[in-house]
Amino acid sequence: MRNVSSETTAHPALIFWIVAGWVGFCLLPWYGVEDGFFSFEWLVDGYPFDEDYAPAAFLIGQGEKLWLTPLLIPLIISLFALGRKKSDPLYAKILIASGALGFGWLIAQGFGIGIRGYNYEWLTALFGDLGDRQFGMGYGALLLASAYLFLFTQGIAARGAINGDVFVVSAIGGVIVIVTVFVFFPIAKMLLAAFITEEGGYSASVFASKFFDDRLWGLGCLSGGRCGAAWNSLFLAITVGILTTVLGLVFALVVTRSGFRYKRALRALTVLPIITPPFVIGLALILLFGLSGSVTQFFADLFGVQPTRWLYGMPGVLIAQTLAFTPIAFLVLIGVVEGVSPSMEEAAQTLRANRWQTFRTVSLPLMRPGLANAFLLGFIESMADFGNPLVLGGNFDVLSTEIFFAIVGAQYDQGRAAVLAMVLLFFTLSAFYAQRMWLGKKSYTTVSGKGDAGVHPLMPNGLAIPVFIAAITWGLFTVVVYGMILYGSVVELWGVNNTLTFKHYVTAFSVRFEETGIRWTGAAWDSFWTTIYIAAAAAPLTAIVGLITAYLLTRQSFAGKNAFEFGTMLSFAIPGTVIGVSYILAFNVPPIEITGTGIILIVSFIFRNMPVGVRAGIASMSQLDKSLDESSLTLGANSWQTFRRVILPLLKPAILAALVYSFVRAMTAISAVIFLVSAEYDMATSYIIGRVENNDYGLAIAYSTTLIFVMLAAVGLLQLLVGRTQIGRRTQFGAKEQT
Amino acid sequence: MKRLSTLALTSIVALTAGVSAAQADKLTLYCSAQEDWCQLMARSFEDATGIDVNMTRKSSGETFAQIKAESSNPRGDVWWGGTGDPHLQAAEENLTMAYVSPMRDQLHDWAISQATSAGDKTIGIYSGALGYGYNTELLAANNLPEPSCWKDLLKPEYKGHVQMANPNSSGTAYTTLASMVQLFGEDEGFEFMKGLHANINQYTKSGSAPIRAAGRGENTIGIVFMHDAVKQAVSGFPVKVVAPCEGTGYEIGSMSIIDGARNEDEAKKFYDWALSTDAQNLALEVNAFQVPSNKGADTSPSAPDMSTITLIDYDFKTYGSSAERKRLLQKWDEDVSTLPQ
Amino acid sequence: MSETLIASKAAPVRFESVTKSFGRDVVAVDNIDLHVEAGKLVTLLGPSGCGKTTTLRMIAGLEMATSGRILIGDRDVTTLPATDRDVSMVFQSYALFPHMSVLENVSYGLTFSGFSKTETRDRALAGLELVGLKGFDARLPSELSGGQQQRVAVARALVLEPQVLLFDEPLSNLDAKLRRQVREDIRAIQQDLGLTVVYVTHDQEEALAVSDEIVVMRNASIAQIGTPRSLYDAPVDRFVADFIGEANILPCTIEGVADDMATISIEGYKHTLPARGLAPGEAKLAVRPSRLVIGAQDGFKAKIAKATYVGVRMEYTLEASFGSMFAVHDDVDTPLEVGSDVTVGFSQKGPVLLPEA
Repeated sequence: MRNVSSETTAHPALIFWIVAGWVGFCLLPWYGVEDGFFSFEWLVDGYPFDEDYAPAAFLIGQGEKLWLTPLLIPLIISLFALGRKKSDPLYAKILIASGALGFGWLIAQGFGIGIRGYNYEWLTALFGDLGDRQFGMGYGALLLASAYLFLFTQGIAARGAINGDVFVVSAIGGVIVIVTVFVFFPIAKMLLAAFITEEGGYSASVFASKFFDDRLWGLGCLSGGRCGAAWNSLFLAITVGILTTVLGLVFALVVTRSGFRYKRALRALTVLPIITPPFVIGLALILLFGLSGSVTQFFADLFGVQPTRWLYGMPGVLIAQTLAFTPIAFLVLIGVVEGVSPSMEEAAQTLRANRWQTFRTVSLPLMRPGLANAFLLGFIESMADFGNPLVLGGNFDVLSTEIFFAIVGAQYDQGRAAVLAMVLLFFTLSAFYAQRMWLGKKSYTTVSGKGDAGVHPLMPNGLAIPVFIAAITWGLFTVVVYGMILYGSVVELWGVNNTLTFKHYVTAFSVRFEETGIRWTGAAWDSFWTTIYIAAAAAPLTAIVGLITAYLLTRQSFAGKNAFEFGTMLSFAIPGTVIGVSYILAFNVPPIEITGTGIILIVSFIFRNMPVGVRAGIASMSQLDKSLDESSLTLGANSWQTFRRVILPLLKPAILAALVYSFVRAMTAISAVIFLVSAEYDMATSYIIGRVENNDYGLAIAYSTTLIFVMLAAVGLLQLLVGRTQIGRRTQFGAKEQT
Repeated sequence: MKRLSTLALTSIVALTAGVSAAQADKLTLYCSAQEDWCQLMARSFEDATGIDVNMTRKSSGETFAQIKAESSNPRGDVWWGGTGDPHLQAAEENLTMAYVSPMRDQLHDWAISQATSAGDKTIGIYSGALGYGYNTELLAANNLPEPSCWKDLLKPEYKGHVQMANPNSSGTAYTTLASMVQLFGEDEGFEFMKGLHANINQYTKSGSAPIRAAGRGENTIGIVFMHDAVKQAVSGFPVKVVAPCEGTGYEIGSMSIIDGARNEDEAKKFYDWALSTDAQNLALEVNAFQVPSNKGADTSPSAPDMSTITLIDYDFKTYGSSAERKRLLQKWDEDVSTLPQ
Repeated sequence: MSETLIASKAAPVRFESVTKSFGRDVVAVDNIDLHVEAGKLVTLLGPSGCGKTTTLRMIAGLEMATSGRILIGDRDVTTLPATDRDVSMVFQSYALFPHMSVLENVSYGLTFSGFSKTETRDRALAGLELVGLKGFDARLPSELSGGQQQRVAVARALVLEPQVLLFDEPLSNLDAKLRRQVREDIRAIQQDLGLTVVYVTHDQEEALAVSDEIVVMRNASIAQIGTPRSLYDAPVDRFVADFIGEANILPCTIEGVADDMATISIEGYKHTLPARGLAPGEAKLAVRPSRLVIGAQDGFKAKIAKATYVGVRMEYTLEASFGSMFAVHDDVDTPLEVGSDVTVGFSQKGPVLLPEA
């Protein structure tokens, strides 16, 4: 609007999406191309007349799939918006009508007509047998759907919603649609299963009988027996949440507020567990503390006691999860701890608070958003964790493994899995709301546009000593665990035959050089490359979606914002197992048919890991004063430019966190993956589990070790690429400019 | 529907780099045996026929869940390996299709009876007997006698030394439960399970976990299929395999063609090939110690000698049905698992 | 009521050969001696990077001197941390705690000073009243305007009755109109309570308006210390002359010195003024724009190069043979034409010889 010419000529975004719509309708193959769109084989294989590859326009032209014809009408309607002024009320009406009609019909025909003709009996009853069918939508449909969606949002914006900001309205619309499609839709499909009886009907009593189950809610552990999985999960998650938050804070404090010499080493150590494939930490812990573990044996000999299986159950899972999730808390907290304005702390000091009082009354309360986020993440991660309880759980049942075995075990009880998933979801969502209540409406904004000159004080001594002890103990523990892992990959047979050998690496990663080039002869290469592809593709997408969402949540207000936030956090609260099965249920049939492709893996990673991007983004953004972007807006930039030029650069730590986290999670995730991998797209973790099941510990650990190094390299590379934000501040040990 | 447009473009370019160009015959194989065996089967079939094989390895439970979820639009063609129960279950739910292979006359009777009990929708490819294994070092360290019968495991000195999988989550453990019921009769079988319960230190989720734990020294005695125990011993772990004196039950590893397979012809080719001696002899290359279903196939010298094991007449039809399974599991849940240990 | 509750324990501040260096190379404050009398408002004035903020932070205890001694009252505080010094500070960004209400912010320091709960509350409320924020106690800082936030910051520092109160550019985030009012308020409170205040600013007008004494700093050391008037009227060098108000630096010749009075000449125009210890010869003369008399009977020749009307006066840029100068004139009704020739003289008091070469 600032640009005067946009009043009279069409907005570029409008032209772009109208053109995109026509391209989607007339040029791109309408249905999914089975051999992959980007192989472009379809171009030489009968396109555009072959039914499999034909664009919608050609299909209709040949008299096929005539139910696609109505899609043309809104496309034509949208043309009337061109040449009209934005302020013209008709402009908005045209776009809204075109977008809503087109999008609505696209969905209606997609769900109405499937691979067996009409999907609903009443349609057949109404129109008779269709005698035709359709498969999953492809890029043509995707592009047209996007076009309708963004025409619609532009219409809404033109009516003045959110200050008429096209970028914000489109972003909200886009996020809502993708979250609906990839989170709510599959979950709804899954949860419906909770009410399905064996005969296929729906019944609430089925749900009740599965819900009020003693295996779920039993309190036997209070009287020496076993407790239900729900209580176990809850207790474990709370403990893990607290422990990881405290430890994360400890590391963040050591790194930012101490003169500790080996900060970098400590930082690297805290990152290690996060880049470790599942099962490996568990195996290492077993080797250290199990019945025949070296530490157990040592103490048993020393004190002459019988070694026990104490590790299996709650203690083992607790140790492994704390080890694994502390880095997440650290990543969240480091930004927040650094973000607390030094002048706040200096002010407290000049107001006669000593260092401990300063920390307690000022620093700590200002870190509350970070602490709450860290706890929430630890809680949810623990709830959803699957690998550690599987290896170390013993008889300590938790919801996530129960869900997995309800689906894949001898029970084959999807309904029970769905009920368990609902309980899990209830817990995680309660934690989410408890966190919001605790933070309340107080302000924690500390970085403002005003130049701050000051340094973070060192930790008070009373705090520093326990903090150092905790950090160093933990650091040593981590070193030992990883030493074991490295060692395990170069011995013949872990724990039995300790002859050094590289044969596991050779088996997994051998290459042969031939005239035709390199031949990847190692057993692990296939899954390795797939994993790298998928992780590299998912990471930036996750960061983008996550940060845009965080921006909308912190910087824009719109109706239904709470529901919006809930929706974006939902996928994180659902264990991967459920996501995996629900994705198969939802995306195996048209209109979206992406099982067995790499896309489904990428999509599942994006939506599983997006909440971390959102959380990190929110935590950082709520510390950046709103006046910063307001000032940018008043300087003539629009929302998108503000986001890109002002918010984004200040968010580098959050971006890095999101990128690193999603890349790493894509490489180490297992629970959802195990359902979604296919012959063509097998992932490293599912391959490793196969080896573990098959006793190939050496190979599994060698592969895991390799993955750890690959991820370390990737994390380092990302650090370099993204760089670190320089907030103009004095440092403790050398001053820059003074005022 | 999805607004991946801008997002997906960049990523999928990267993905499709690996897509092969050739448009050859292909087969999607769901494999529920051990990884290297699956790999070997897939590659060998490719070599033998020139048909491209897309192979995914998952446990039989996971594969069953996947096939069920995909039933309205099947992705897989053939499902090879894994214990027989989920195959029977799939047959019961019409997830797999009937096929009578010309190779049948070369097979053992037990393999064919598996097929007939499921209306030809599945067939036996190998079998394995139930038993247990123990860690010799731990047994010695704890001064325990060497067990040789099922009922030996009930002795109080083994308290906290025995591990088995949870029948609710593991087919192996369900086979154990069903075998005990068939071996001792239902009442005595459950008494046995109750007695065993007192000595159990952990019900694992996965069927072969007890013997893997025994191999690593994390457990003394694990109730598993004997070929899994043999595998531990051959891998170098101090594990001794026991064929219980009272006799024992067994599983039949099975193979099924998925109903609505996209590559039905190739699936049948694989089916026939997998029943041949050549294909079944491949097991020996990957330390799979099950007994092959082709009469002419070789048996490993390390494998448990089936002639010395007393096998019960396992009733797969009855005990593989979901109704009986549900009944036994519920009874086990109520009468056994709630007892104090 | 407030007067009875909040009093002053003003104490003098003394710097003895204090040096502060960061790392090995950066010397922020170079061997300065400074004495701030009890009950006085002393301003540290200077351009960015001159070391004034570092000096202030050393008084607060937020930076530790590398060498030298710092005394507050009779106490050597050189190595004491901020917490243990009886000093409080108003920050440039105010540094109000965003998670506490206004009352909690103001009470904050009191809770660590051994006051009872009721006394803490009474004092805090008195402090708020003193800065004119009665009734705002339950608000959060984010619900206040910039000027109000500033007052909260002042109240928070005041209620502790510090021996020394420090201000770090307290007005820089306020608009011009508010700035004048707030600085008058600060000065009034300081004088009413008899506080010792050290005040950092880079705004010379602000410094002149509020200070009992101004310390002009340059390149990590002190350029000149004096009352506003003495600095304005008798800058020791060109830097001070130029930094405190505007000054025209003109070349002149000292023709003779008698009884500490020098007679100078510029293009034949003669003027007598204090010699400030200079001997006859070439010298530099600093003349404030208002002390140039345009159209004087006696003077040197110059040409009007630029004329600007700014409401209350006219501003002229004059070109003489030895350079250009800037002058103001109160007569706005009959402005002089650009290009016209004028005779420029000095008013009787005003021009000052600069002792440096």
